[in-house]
Amino acid sequence: MTGVSKDFVGVRALDDVDFDVRPGEVHALIGENGAGKSTLVNVLAGRFTDYRGTIVFEGKHVRLANPRQARKMGIAVIYQDLSVLANFTVAENIMLGDEKASRYLRKMDRASIRACACEVIDYLNFDLDPDRRVADLGRARRCMVEIAAAIRRNVKLIIFDEPTACLASGDVDKLFGVIRDLCNRGLGVIYISHRIAELPVIADRVTVLRDARVVGTREIADCKIAHLTRMMLGHELKEVFPIKTNRPGKVILKVKQLTRAGVFEDISFQLREGEVLGIAGLVGSGRTEIARAIFGADKSAGTVEIGDTVLEKRLPPLSRNVGIAMVPENRQTEGNITQRTVSENINITILDRLSRRFGFLRPRDCTRQTCRMIKRLNIEPPAPGRNIRNLSGGNQQKVIIARWLAAESRVIIFDEPTQGIDVGTKAQLYKLIIELASKGHAIILISSEMLEIAKLADRILIIQNGRLVQQLSGPLDDETQLIDACYSRGKSK
Amino acid sequence: MTDREKDRLLNAVGSRISLRRLQRASILILLFVLGAVASAKSPTFLTWYNLVDNLFTNAAAVGIIALGMTFVMIAGGFDLSVAANTAVCSIVLVLTVNALLPCGPLAAVIVALMLTAIVGIALGAINGTLVAYVGVNPFVVTLSTMFVFRGFGLILTQGGQSMQIASLTLRRQFTDWLYDFKCPFLGAEYQISMPIIVFIALFLIGFYLLRLTRFGHYIYAIGGNEQAAWLAGVNTRLIKACTYMLCGFTCAVAGALFLANATTAEATSHMGKELDVIAAVIVGGTPLGGGSGGLVLTLIGLILLKVIENLLTQFNVGAEYRPVVTGLIILVVVTIDVLVNKKTRQ
Repeated sequence: MTGVSKDFVGVRALDDVDFDVRPGEVHALIGENGAGKSTLVNVLAGRFTDYRGTIVFEGKHVRLANPRQARKMGIAVIYQDLSVLANFTVAENIMLGDEKASRYLRKMDRASIRACACEVIDYLNFDLDPDRRVADLGRARRCMVEIAAAIRRNVKLIIFDEPTACLASGDVDKLFGVIRDLCNRGLGVIYISHRIAELPVIADRVTVLRDARVVGTREIADCKIAHLTRMMLGHELKEVFPIKTNRPGKVILKVKQLTRAGVFEDISFQLREGEVLGIAGLVGSGRTEIARAIFGADKSAGTVEIGDTVLEKRLPPLSRNVGIAMVPENRQTEGNITQRTVSENINITILDRLSRRFGFLRPRDCTRQTCRMIKRLNIEPPAPGRNIRNLSGGNQQKVIIARWLAAESRVIIFDEPTQGIDVGTKAQLYKLIIELASKGHAIILISSEMLEIAKLADRILIIQNGRLVQQLSGPLDDETQLIDACYSRGKSK
Repeated sequence: MTDREKDRLLNAVGSRISLRRLQRASILILLFVLGAVASAKSPTFLTWYNLVDNLFTNAAAVGIIALGMTFVMIAGGFDLSVAANTAVCSIVLVLTVNALLPCGPLAAVIVALMLTAIVGIALGAINGTLVAYVGVNPFVVTLSTMFVFRGFGLILTQGGQSMQIASLTLRRQFTDWLYDFKCPFLGAEYQISMPIIVFIALFLIGFYLLRLTRFGHYIYAIGGNEQAAWLAGVNTRLIKACTYMLCGFTCAVAGALFLANATTAEATSHMGKELDVIAAVIVGGTPLGGGSGGLVLTLIGLILLKVIENLLTQFNVGAEYRPVVTGLIILVVVTIDVLVNKKTRQ
């Protein structure tokens, strides 16, 4: 493996990117959400076939046409959403696709599957029981199963896509041990992560991506964490954040001892009118689940009060009526009503108000209402009849916000509002959030982009493993304090 | 992982296994309870004549299609066209036997049976190709082919005539051979009919295929996570297509059995049988999404449905109530499955 360089145009997800991995090294790839990391991985995995530029693998020019070909060549990706077969045993998963069968009756040789799998497990020195069902294993072990399956297929380059995002600290150490061991065996490793802090421990070199371009590649020994952070964020983003003009007023939302067994426990906080409350934590810490529980999308114990009313039962329709809104994490599956128009998407929350006698809807009323919201939020293009599918990500997000403004919501929960949105639109969204707060809306902001929370929030709750461990008051200058708070594992126990 | 977390995990695993087992066992328990009640109340229930000659023999043809359907459904597929396929196969069998009668009855029957099998597999292959290689949703594909196959039947019978094997003796022989077959090792009152023997043979072959070969192993893998199987180098498309062809083959076998029983083949026969078949598979415990299940489960589901049907007849419950009972049973079984899943996922 001498050099991998590529230039990928289209939506400009990757713009003239040069990247190389040597055998026996861990090359870290970092960047913000939407910087192009996953695009790069998908190109290498053979999932995007319409890339431009050249890839050289083991000294040969190759054209990656499909995932199978990439695998065959010796490139394996260990994805975040681990792709193992839950109903199969560890051994069956490791040997999948390479089972031996007897000569005449084509009987599958289970003993040899187990034996070969054991060989691989021993070779890697993994602590895995070949006969356990994968469904009964934790995330770290599932990851090991995937690694073992990849090794068995003579993989030469392993790509880890944010493997530590959902792991407990003990498991992270275990995984790092495994990765280092893989390097010692001469494999190349690409390590993708959000956590800059862990890079010096694991990586040899690091490449920073920003806005689809390579900012730079450095030896890890030569650079400081602060320097990497600056490379990753760039200076533009700092200018993106608006001046905070909102003033917190009287308390509007009280959350007391909110608990959902096994997910989060004993979450209590208050929210004021005109306040932006940030909720920070790692993926899987329970941030989203807390938001869903407040909104009533999931069942939970504990109480939520809005104004003077105590919400005994929490369900989305009730939340809408009392003025709690949620802009969900996953726009495509939980936000948009796909295939329907902008107008239908906005008016969905207020159909009962728009409808006349016998439930008739006058198209003119709907359009007038939609136009008002389009003007208010600058939705582009300003066409009420446009299919929401044909809007950009940022404008889709605005449509969903418009939906809740139309319903006159007082508390708006934003869950990852800027995921997959370009920098310009991000700036608009940030401005909008602050504007809403200035007009007296109470905002809960959940995001993986720590800088976003640091810059926008008046108060920040830190969630670790489903518990509220710390409160910080914002806005903060940068996100280092937040990252420290989220990763400080010792303190939470 | 801390000790507390470990304990929590172990508890979760423990309760999950016992709940799952309980659920699996519940169908068997229900079956035994029904059997016990029935044999206590009705002296004719627990007799060889009622159970084997009547119940199982009648269930065999549907059961054979259910075997094929189990393969399709474990791989995450679905086939609504099986009844139409069966009707076409019966018609093809009659037509070819009649056409080949001049060559002698034995040769005619053998060639006709082979041709019928090929037609069943070919119709299955149409489904399989569209689902696996073109990527159309199996529900849509097999719903459409259901109509198309019925149309084939109508075309072959010149617009819906009832078809019969032309030679009366051969017709008698065919029926006798299948339904009055005498097994040499068994006594006179404990005879097993040919349909049951065919079913058992196919069941054993199917069990071997599903549990002991790579083909079966991959079927489970595809149902579990098709993408993972594809990335592991499994030819998922070919295997999916094969499950539909297998299902088509079982339709052909069932078509022959039905013909022997009814002596006539019609384009519109077996209407609704596809739902009986799917019901047996689902009640047995193979989920609609695939990935788990098996032939033994399907057998249990089939017997359960047939025993209930038989009981309703024995106790003179009107025919109008039977679909209600069948529907409720499917609903209860599937609901329990959903609830158990919810409970274990927490």
